[in-house]
Amino acid sequence: MEKHRKPFNYKKLIVYIISYFFAFIMLVPLVWMVVTSFKPEGSVVTVIGELIQPPFTLDSYFKVNDTSEIWRWTANSVFVGAVQTAGTLLVSSLAAFAISRIPFKGKNFVFLIILAGLMVPVEATIVPLFSMIADLGWVNTFQALILPGIALPLGVLILKQFYDSIPTELVEAAKMDGASLFTIWYKIFLPLSRTSMAALAIFVFVQSWNNFLWPLLVATDASMMTLPVGIPTFQSAFATDLSVPMAANVIGSVPALIIFLIFQKHIIQGITMTGIK
Amino acid sequence: MGALNREQKDMEEQSAKHKVVHYPQKKNKVKRNESLKSNAIAWAFLFPFMLLYVWFMLYPIIQGFFTSLTTGSFGMAREFSGLDNYVRLLSDQAFWQSLWNTVYFVLISTPTIVIFGLILALIVNAKLKGTTFLRSAFFMPYMLSISVMASIWVFILQPYTGFLNAILGQLGVSEEIFWLGNEHLAWISILVATLWWTLGFNMVLFLAGLQDISEEMYEAADIDGASAWAKFWHITLPSLKGVVTLVVILQSVASFKLFGQPWLMTGGGPGDATRPLVQYIYELGFIQWDPGYASAVSYVLFGVMAIFAAIQYKLLVKKEG
Repeated sequence: MEKHRKPFNYKKLIVYIISYFFAFIMLVPLVWMVVTSFKPEGSVVTVIGELIQPPFTLDSYFKVNDTSEIWRWTANSVFVGAVQTAGTLLVSSLAAFAISRIPFKGKNFVFLIILAGLMVPVEATIVPLFSMIADLGWVNTFQALILPGIALPLGVLILKQFYDSIPTELVEAAKMDGASLFTIWYKIFLPLSRTSMAALAIFVFVQSWNNFLWPLLVATDASMMTLPVGIPTFQSAFATDLSVPMAANVIGSVPALIIFLIFQKHIIQGITMTGIK
Repeated sequence: MGALNREQKDMEEQSAKHKVVHYPQKKNKVKRNESLKSNAIAWAFLFPFMLLYVWFMLYPIIQGFFTSLTTGSFGMAREFSGLDNYVRLLSDQAFWQSLWNTVYFVLISTPTIVIFGLILALIVNAKLKGTTFLRSAFFMPYMLSISVMASIWVFILQPYTGFLNAILGQLGVSEEIFWLGNEHLAWISILVATLWWTLGFNMVLFLAGLQDISEEMYEAADIDGASAWAKFWHITLPSLKGVVTLVVILQSVASFKLFGQPWLMTGGGPGDATRPLVQYIYELGFIQWDPGYASAVSYVLFGVMAIFAAIQYKLLVKKEG
């Protein structure tokens, strides 16, 4: 680019304009959500001039705080996401270790069954899954929200592929020293796979955080709802007053946006790893 | 097994020769014990995953198939009815409508997401000033939960008090547009909201693909005096084949499972114009309490996706091979 020095690079200017125009379009709904949430109830939020001028107030936030269980929903979402993530990492790394490193009868069959699960949409199993949960009396419980999402075939696949790349010599040496398979998994494979595990963790957490259909079915009690289910329930009472629903949206988005800003690099790396496999 | 038997025979022959009877048998036993032990340990490692997997995945799949062969309301005694539910499907207008809606969404969302995802990735990859800002701006909507995303768009799009119509009004559009109340506009709205929400994710995948292309190829093209467009067409696009395939697969799988956006934005309406297959399953199962029929529709979704996965697998293997 420095080779051809022109007085003014129009092409580059156009690229800049297009790029920042896209960024502007992507940000407008977000900025609108945030600004609207600070407007007093019943104010005009359709005229840009009035929208960006004071008065601003925290009233809508207080109202959300007083009339909804949004903190409870946030806590539920965080709890469900955290337990699901930890559970998935644990069970899939154990299973991946067995498939990658321990000889046993029927290994190919087991791996095939797990791979087949990659093709099954959870959405197609909700009817039998729900009737099972209902029979167990688990509607409106954490185990109903958490357990069905833990055995994730993708997790086994990703970790197995990584475990396959760990040199055999390392395992043999540890065996010579009298280490058990469990020790080898715990002391060698777990620490070595930190990057893959982090990628998988982010993937599972985001999925759990955004899960909508399943919590909609099993969390009917307001105290058991997660954010994606709770927020629309709360908002359905507001049709024309926008500041209160938007305040709920902001509260519901803050944890995820903070996580994004802190772990941006890891999240993007995680998507690349879990996506491209 | 065969090898083991042969080994055993060899050992027996040898032991017979040398008149040592006990030692080889003992060794053999140790071996068998070791393999038994290895099996046991493997299953101990597999157990937690397989327990949950069988319980919450395999069992419901099989149970769903048997349910689809029965009739009767939720919680009531089920009556075996053979393939009746599947026959009923064939003449169910609402089923065909929802199946078409889902396929329609797959068809409109996949190419647009590929094109715009790639554009955003090219922008972020172009080493402009403020790349970090651009990347964050493109990616941030993906971090919102589906309900927040849908509610922002519903309030932006709603007539009379919505932000979009207000802006259009200021630009001189005097007509009040019912974005979510008109069949075609509702689909456009769902598509735009989905694009806004998921482009960042696909951008990241494309970005990884772009960064894998070696600089040398571009340098060589520069020496040959290739234009930017020629470089894009002959170097960038061909190198991205793998990523495009991946995005197409991920996106179409996600689109087949479409539920949240129409459920929260249009409720499947107007009429049932935007009701996808998953919503139909939901309504049959949990509003009309007809699990048998809902399971049959689930199996259709399952089947359609399996066929689709097979086609894509073939394409993928062909491209990589």
